[in-house]
Amino acid sequence: MKNNYKFIFLIMFIASSINAQNLLEKLDKEFNVEEIDEIATFKTTRIGLSHSIETRKKGALQLSLYFRYWDTNAPSGQNFLADKVSTRYGLDYAFTDNFTLGIGYTNYDKLVDGYFKYQLLKQTKDSNKRWFSLTLVQTISHQELTSTIYDVYESATTSENSYAFVTQALFARKFNPNLSLQITPSFIYRNKNNENDDPTSQFAIGIGGRHRLSKHTSFVSEYNYVLNSIDSIETYNTFMVGVNWEVRNFIFQFHLTNARSFAEDLFLTKTTNNFNFRDPNLHFGFNTTYVIQTKRRK
Amino acid sequence: MNKVFLSLTLLFFVFKNLNAQNQKIARQGQVSFFSYTSVENIEAVNNQALSIIDLKENKIAISMLMRAFVFKKDLMYQHFNESYVESDLYPKANFEGEILNLNREEKIQTKIIKGRLDIHGVSKEIEIKTKIENVKDNFILSGDFNVKVNDFDIQIPPILASNIAKTITIKFKFQYEPYEE
Repeated sequence: MKNNYKFIFLIMFIASSINAQNLLEKLDKEFNVEEIDEIATFKTTRIGLSHSIETRKKGALQLSLYFRYWDTNAPSGQNFLADKVSTRYGLDYAFTDNFTLGIGYTNYDKLVDGYFKYQLLKQTKDSNKRWFSLTLVQTISHQELTSTIYDVYESATTSENSYAFVTQALFARKFNPNLSLQITPSFIYRNKNNENDDPTSQFAIGIGGRHRLSKHTSFVSEYNYVLNSIDSIETYNTFMVGVNWEVRNFIFQFHLTNARSFAEDLFLTKTTNNFNFRDPNLHFGFNTTYVIQTKRRK
Repeated sequence: MNKVFLSLTLLFFVFKNLNAQNQKIARQGQVSFFSYTSVENIEAVNNQALSIIDLKENKIAISMLMRAFVFKKDLMYQHFNESYVESDLYPKANFEGEILNLNREEKIQTKIIKGRLDIHGVSKEIEIKTKIENVKDNFILSGDFNVKVNDFDIQIPPILASNIAKTITIKFKFQYEPYEE
């Protein structure tokens, strides 16, 4: 009889203790498995030259200053650091979490550019639902081209408006917390050329990536290949390597590139120097962006 | 045969009694944290924290997804998840503990919950003073406590040391309802 009671007590003890230890495991089951979007594929809205798939959340205003420095062919120059500098002043505003509008002015090229950026798809984390993120960008740029016709008796200066439209579809995937890659096919359309047989529509495809070096810095690189380049002048494909540093609301990007312009239609198709370390081909770029949150996102 | 039958029925009763009345779950617990510095105030709220309390054993468990913390600024949210708590590696924050000297009948009481807090892969023993309200045997637990950022191996770069407080205040409120498995 005694054995019976011992046996019963043992069973009751085991039963009660099994239940009490599983509280955290029970909580694990209660979590609804919903798909979580991947964040921070690039952390910056531009990889360096081209746009990245990132768009800021609603109400975010980005003030940006992009600088590009390069030397010219002149045998001796007295300029401090670099001979030429080109600056782009930019403003980007996110109307919704997925849609951003931006405008900018470049002083060296005397070019005004604006863009719409819409994030169509977001990569999902840990599931095979959406394998990559997709963002569409439409850039419009305007330049006033002046040309002077020299005649024996008088010279006439004409100026015409040159518009260029660039449509890009950005496909990017975050492979792991340290590596993200992006492919950028682009279509460039120019409304007129300087009286030559250059194609007005061009296609380019770019590949860019980001590798995280530390919690706040990353290494970026980009290469853009033009499928049908123009013939009137010799152009080269653009290449960029750089480092991004994110601190609080500031984003700093430092890079080396052979592109001189900031507008997609110019740097993709009209870069006239190759990327090598001989002067004057090494161009140094420095981008600063400051993000302000303008309204409560509730 | 009789012995087996008797023990099985006892088991049955043990299991039956242990659950429904004694385990409560809170599905939309609110957990928020604040960092106050002279330069910047940072705060975030998580409205999807889960918690179960077992009133027979006086045990409590809390679990929440780090990604569910909502910030006013998007960049803060990205920095928080990517660089500070690294939610890719440690997606959840957990707490497992015991409510000391709980009196199930009292309407309002303040008791200490002692347990282990798990954030960013680091566990720490803490004691939290909690206000426990009993509304028709459904409980509401609320309170606040401080934690040190350093204790959980969260690294703040020296340049931002003045923007993020070393001690962070965490507030929580859980409303429980009966839990059926």
